[in-house]
Amino acid sequence: MNFTLFDLKIVEYSFFITAILVIMIGLYGALVKKSLIKVVIGLSIFDSGINLLLISIGYITSGTAPIFSPALVKDMPLTLENIKKLSEGMVDPVPQALVLTAIVIGFGVTAVALSLVIRLYRHHQTLNIDEIKNLKW
Amino acid sequence: MVGSPVLFIAVPLLAAFLIPLLGMVWKESIRILPGLVLLYMLVLAITLLEQVMHTGTIVEILAGWKPPWGINLVFSPFTGILATLMILMGFIIWIYSYRFKNVDFEEAKKYFILFMMLVTGSVGIVLTGDIFNQFVFIEITSISAYALTAFYKHRDSAEASFKYLMVGSLSSMFLLLAIILIYSQLGTLNMADIASKAHLMKPEFKILAVIFFIVGLGIEAEIFPLNGWVPDAYAQAPGPVGAAFAGIVVKAGVYALIRIIFTLFDVSGTHQFLIVIGLTTMIISEMAAIRQDRLKRMLAYSSLGQMGLVLVAFGIGTEEGIFAAMFLLINHAIGKSLLFLSGSYLVYNSADKYISETNGMGKFLPVTSFLFALGALAVVGMPPFSGFWGKFFMMSAAAHANMLLIIALILSVSLIELVYYFRVINRIYFYKKESHITPKKPTVNAVIAMATLGVIILIIGFYPDLISGYLHQASQALLDKGKYIQDVLSTGQLLTH
Repeated sequence: MNFTLFDLKIVEYSFFITAILVIMIGLYGALVKKSLIKVVIGLSIFDSGINLLLISIGYITSGTAPIFSPALVKDMPLTLENIKKLSEGMVDPVPQALVLTAIVIGFGVTAVALSLVIRLYRHHQTLNIDEIKNLKW
Repeated sequence: MVGSPVLFIAVPLLAAFLIPLLGMVWKESIRILPGLVLLYMLVLAITLLEQVMHTGTIVEILAGWKPPWGINLVFSPFTGILATLMILMGFIIWIYSYRFKNVDFEEAKKYFILFMMLVTGSVGIVLTGDIFNQFVFIEITSISAYALTAFYKHRDSAEASFKYLMVGSLSSMFLLLAIILIYSQLGTLNMADIASKAHLMKPEFKILAVIFFIVGLGIEAEIFPLNGWVPDAYAQAPGPVGAAFAGIVVKAGVYALIRIIFTLFDVSGTHQFLIVIGLTTMIISEMAAIRQDRLKRMLAYSSLGQMGLVLVAFGIGTEEGIFAAMFLLINHAIGKSLLFLSGSYLVYNSADKYISETNGMGKFLPVTSFLFALGALAVVGMPPFSGFWGKFFMMSAAAHANMLLIIALILSVSLIELVYYFRVINRIYFYKKESHITPKKPTVNAVIAMATLGVIILIIGFYPDLISGYLHQASQALLDKGKYIQDVLSTGQLLTH
């Protein structure tokens, strides 16, 4: 139990570190890989990394859900100070709402990308990005 | 009260999703509905614009959440003019493409759905006052643009579209990073709120956010190192879509970039950056345009050059410069769209769309060729046409700001433009036609659409004062950052009391 504080610090930073690692992996996949499918996977991983980063901004260690339930409010009058006091341990809901939107958008982009990959494969009979260069300028 | 700005987003989005349902009942309705919707939006936009010019900015609050927290739409003289321009272009492109894919119902249905989404997204980018909302609209615009680029199955369109998608989705991630950065620093997503709190941000974070924004928005704004996808996408997409890219999507991208640089952050050096990046874009694209042998690629590169010119004009930063930039934006939207619309008829039946295949088309397609020449003259900036005033105002703005080198560069670049456009016009009128290509007669609605654009070019060319009053107000609205912040944030206070 002596490690709690240290532990929590690690937990707090680990989200950011992991998010940046995931972003780097995704960027590597999207920019270096030759297979179109792997490029799309890289894009998707990049997307997840950004979402993780976004969610970790609103994260508070051992925070509660941002809901003013009757059990939480009890008989307190809802003045500005009371609301401030109550909301101290709550996680920020805005990044979560943003992430939901970002996930849906990422899903849409991945779906369009995969359908384009199918079209490219039918047109060129290959998924190697080096061999698809009709439009090179 | 005829309506409110939210209808510019709600109505076309609803229409886009109603098209497949109505298509089951009556096949012709998929072609008529977009036009009715765009006409309604156009009327609404012009009425609102007239109202805004007299009574000041309209700020609309969505879902009852007050401005610093909720999403709001801002219909100021500046955003209003851009939205009206986009809707007008959308309507004209609808007239042009009314008979698009006349025999193929399924294909036409997809085209009209995606086109309505494109217009919705672009108008949304311009009207919204919330950066995350703007990100969502940018994604709506880009996803429909990817799909429209890949529309023709037999061309290399999937390749162009994939290229666009790669750059576009990577850059939109950077946009999201910039939004995360701002939110973690300031705890707000509202543009006016960010603008009023920007000085609280640490300078290193601010610069990082601006860089992320420029990378993220530079794709849609087509600034130099990020515009490799443009010639491919413009050339592979169907003709009306190319015109929609030049007339609608780029405008939205430039607006977003300008809003970030002028309103959100006051980082020193961004104006010089705009000038440098604009000049680079302009010079490199015009050099590339002159050595193209395919018509649509040439037009795409020329479009890039024009957008570089617009960025330079914004970068001058004075009221006069912004006025000139707005004039050039309007001229580019009208002139370049006319070039794309008429150009796609000039090379309609040729597989490779070579410029040499337009030889002698002047005799077979007199109206189209004439309108193409008119568009080319307007874009180059010949005196009686609209482009002349844009370049004239821009040069006088540069002269007043003591930037003489810019004038020299603009003049030499205009000379390059003149050379490659006149090369095409020369081929159209004075060369003998190559026998194997049968020219395609334009449909009646296409002629109406192109002629409307031609008439607008002539009207603006002869009476620039018709729009210059609006544009002066628009440029003042863009420069007056304090008023923007006050307009948006005060609506919130009004509601609380």
